Amino acid sequence: MATFQVEVVSAETSVLSVEAEAVYARSLDGEIGILPGHQPVLLALDIAPVSIVTTDQTIRLAVHNGFLYYQRDSLVVLADIAERAEDIDVDRARRRREELERRETREDAAVAASIRKQDVRLSLAP
Amino acid sequence: MAGSAEIRQLRRRIKTVKNTQKITRAFEMIAASRILKAQRRVNEARPYAEQITAIIRGLAASNEAHSHPLLTEWPDATRTGLVVLTSDRGLAGAYNANVLKRADAIIEHVEAQGNEVDLFVVGNKAQQHYKFRGRETTGAWSGVSDSPNYPDAAAVAADVMDNFTDGRYQDVQLVYTDFQSALNQVPTTMQLLPVDPSEFAGGEELSPEFIFEPDPQEILDLLIPKYVEAKIFAGMLESAASEHASRQRAMKSATDNAEDVVNTLTTVMNQARQDQVTTELTEIVGGAAALSDA
Repeated sequence: MATFQVEVVSAETSVLSVEAEAVYARSLDGEIGILPGHQPVLLALDIAPVSIVTTDQTIRLAVHNGFLYYQRDSLVVLADIAERAEDIDVDRARRRREELERRETREDAAVAASIRKQDVRLSLAP
Repeated sequence: MAGSAEIRQLRRRIKTVKNTQKITRAFEMIAASRILKAQRRVNEARPYAEQITAIIRGLAASNEAHSHPLLTEWPDATRTGLVVLTSDRGLAGAYNANVLKRADAIIEHVEAQGNEVDLFVVGNKAQQHYKFRGRETTGAWSGVSDSPNYPDAAAVAADVMDNFTDGRYQDVQLVYTDFQSALNQVPTTMQLLPVDPSEFAGGEELSPEFIFEPDPQEILDLLIPKYVEAKIFAGMLESAASEHASRQRAMKSATDNAEDVVNTLTTVMNQARQDQVTTELTEIVGGAAALSDA
């Protein structure tokens, strides 16, 4: 099967660079799957996992406030924070979530977003 | 005449200096090992900034970037925002002094024009500096400078951008230390806001078959704040690398200096000991001569 180059770049470092067969993500408007030869896209990503399917494995990442850019068989995911499932600190995410839950400003958009980030992390944890 | 009291005192001083030297040498080695890591982080953060800029340029070629609030000029504003990046700890030579000198020069320049400055300071050193001079700070952060994380930069950026989009500032400047090499770090001023539209010029237009979600204007509005965040983050990383390099140099000269002091003191001590031995000998010989004469 045809592949294309995928790079995941977080603000702090290059997280990943692989050849992939498909990439699945969720933009602000809905789910999207990208296969080689897809039309060029530029998306703002939701707080949601991104899955990268390579020939021998599926890599799952927690991506917060990212962008996805695909053009000419090269795909770039840019994000403030992008963590591979195996790099996620589960205890820290859980603690952080509990701490956020206790806050009184739980309806606040920023707090709600932080809670969702922790949920994404926890949903990916091995 | 040199007595055993003086020798004891010298011996104690040598010991003290040697202990201090052990500490400065440890600091020197720690700083040296951190320079490399800090430098690597500067390089690792670069692709993100480059990609963001490239995408913004592509979008700006066919969309209206100038209307974004972060590119708007506020001619009626009479204040300047100043972000100053210093370290939390000292023992880094002139590192903090140089940054603060530069920041003070900007403050002076702005106030000479009849405008006012709002300070956003990162690092305990800058906080102490301005507190001592009785200046209010609009925002202050600490615990960041050693190894900055992106959320730290985002927090500073959010505060500054909020104030700017409210129309309070004519401009916002960032003062940080540019890491040019392990031997050369230069305090540098960079304009953060308003973002100069020319920085987004010259991009190749994205092909018309592109799908945008949400629409390109909205993506552009989301990307431009990231661009500002990335700039502050880059400044923080450069400053961190510079801090470690300055500390390493300062601690190296402290260690060398301690070595010199130990050498000088040892010479003085040896002389004193010789004197004492000579005196004792003279006394014994003198005493024996007096006895045999009797």
